[in-house]
Amino acid sequence: MWTAFSQAMSLVFDPYVLWICFASAVFGMFVGAMPGLTATMATALLVPITFFMPPVPALGAIVTATAMAIFAGDIPAAMLRIPGTPASAAYTDESYAMARKGQLDLNMGVNLVFSALGGLFGVVILIVCAPWLAELAINFSSFEYFWLAALGLTCAIFIATDDPVKGFAALFVGLGIGCIGIDPAAGYPRFTFGSVELLQGVSFIPAMIGMFAISELLRGAVTVDQAGQVLGQQVGNIFRGVGAVFRRYWFNFLRGSVIGTAIGALPGAGADIAAWISYAVSKKFSKEPEKFGTGHIEGIVDSTSANNSALGGAWIPALVFGIPGDSITAIVIGVLYMKNMNPGPTVFLQNPQFIYAVFIIFILANLLMLPIGWVAIRSAKQILRTPRNILLPIILMFCIVGSYAMTNSVYGIGVMLVLGLLGWLLEENGFPVAPIILGLVLGEMFEQNFMTSMIKADGNLASFFARPIAAVLGVITLALWAYMLWRMRHAAPAAQDA
Amino acid sequence: MRTNDTLAGAILITIALAMIALTINFPLMPGQKYGPALFPRLLGAGMIMCGMLLILRGRRNARPALALASWAADPWRRVSFALMLALPLAAIFAWTPIGFVPTTLVSLLLLLLWFRTRPATALLAALVATALLQIFFGKLMRVPLPLGWLLELPPHWLKYLT
Repeated sequence: MWTAFSQAMSLVFDPYVLWICFASAVFGMFVGAMPGLTATMATALLVPITFFMPPVPALGAIVTATAMAIFAGDIPAAMLRIPGTPASAAYTDESYAMARKGQLDLNMGVNLVFSALGGLFGVVILIVCAPWLAELAINFSSFEYFWLAALGLTCAIFIATDDPVKGFAALFVGLGIGCIGIDPAAGYPRFTFGSVELLQGVSFIPAMIGMFAISELLRGAVTVDQAGQVLGQQVGNIFRGVGAVFRRYWFNFLRGSVIGTAIGALPGAGADIAAWISYAVSKKFSKEPEKFGTGHIEGIVDSTSANNSALGGAWIPALVFGIPGDSITAIVIGVLYMKNMNPGPTVFLQNPQFIYAVFIIFILANLLMLPIGWVAIRSAKQILRTPRNILLPIILMFCIVGSYAMTNSVYGIGVMLVLGLLGWLLEENGFPVAPIILGLVLGEMFEQNFMTSMIKADGNLASFFARPIAAVLGVITLALWAYMLWRMRHAAPAAQDA
Repeated sequence: MRTNDTLAGAILITIALAMIALTINFPLMPGQKYGPALFPRLLGAGMIMCGMLLILRGRRNARPALALASWAADPWRRVSFALMLALPLAAIFAWTPIGFVPTTLVSLLLLLLWFRTRPATALLAALVATALLQIFFGKLMRVPLPLGWLLELPPHWLKYLT
């Protein structure tokens, strides 16, 4: 283990890698702080660049940029009352209320410090759990993997959407798009309509850029002339009073981080849901719930820790099982495959130095967050003044070139355009996009394990429950399906307009 | 563009039926009862179920089948939206004959001007962005961005761009 660890250290502490991490940190801060540009979008935009890098700087760039972006989303939340990324939406009103009361400094300080601490907490759990789970997963057969994928996909719908029908519909659409190309079990070309390019399936990265960037740009284009008003307050010493907040609310920090890591690790739900849930939990168990919503720091401690710890948590299932914990790690899995580091327990045996390198970069990124975040807060007014009418066209062009670079043909641009429009249309109509991406990422593995299991069992469905771990996973999955059906029958359908 | 649940369900079922219909000629795996058709058919069945549930729900709360978002009433926003789709289309059709640089320069400039950027700023932004994209992707990352009209340039100029 120590040789792998020292190898990892030398991989990370290479001037080139450190430079890439620093540049991605600045990029992540900017993207996170700009309303309308999300952490997932930052990742999707980074991939065409990281495509040409060795694995460690490529993963380092993504880890650093996303950690920064999730924090930076808090800045416009407090100053403009617009969350920079969806992960800050849960406590945007609270932050803005604090800023209005003249507590902008304290709010920014708490957001910065607890984001970094929450991020570190998530990493520690990742470092402890991932190798242990990998050891367990080494004995998994196709039955366990089938149920694991089924459970992951189910969780994505169960946690991430309040409308299971539309969630499942989106998932089936995603899995259906994943079916395009050579099928993984028999090698037969499906739904290719004679196109050579479709034989390899729908290109994953252009699909991501379409779903996460183009759909966002389409929404941005119709509001490009609407800008928020930056609060006229000066930022002073942001670290004053943070220590007192920590002494008073250390339990909130721990609770938020635990919830965040756990929700991050559950497939399909990421930082945004982690923040919403931990804010709600904080309010529910608070001694002074009446202060929530009036600019009270307590709920912010919970949720700002939670959304950053979710990032580390999401890497646990991604690295160990190849099942993404959120939409960012869904993209990461695509990157891992491109770098021939197929995620799964064997990566911990064959390439442990890469895994350790990711851990080290995660720690580094969260430490780097303090100085770079401080600079970002100081220069927030300039960042938030970046004209969106210049930014939007340039990002669009970058998406086009990036998609082209993934396939070296205009086919990539076509995939980006079609899926971007599809993603926009579905989101307009209340269908969640995350299950589509999960379906697209997991489709091949899901089907392959399903077909292998069917052949092994000779069509006998009872074999899917014959092994103990498979049986447990299977029962949990089926129970979730039953619960969702029950909830659908009893829930009022009025909520869909929300 | 918002559809009501009934229409969304009907579209979903249509797609599912088309998908299942396409699997009819898929072969079986040798010596097995199933083949490449099994998984898409199961997905199709799932989509039909979701579609039927949506239709049932749509019948309970009546809403118009299609409704446009509020921004669609403003022609300027409608064109803004269409331009976001037109730029990728322009790339698909114009890059090969005309080249990456001219297409990008013109389309960026048009979009920037449409978004009411001042002409001088728009021209500068379009020039800088195009040059940076060509140098970063075309030269540093060796992405074969189509040169098109740039091939007319003297070769010693081209080496700075590719």
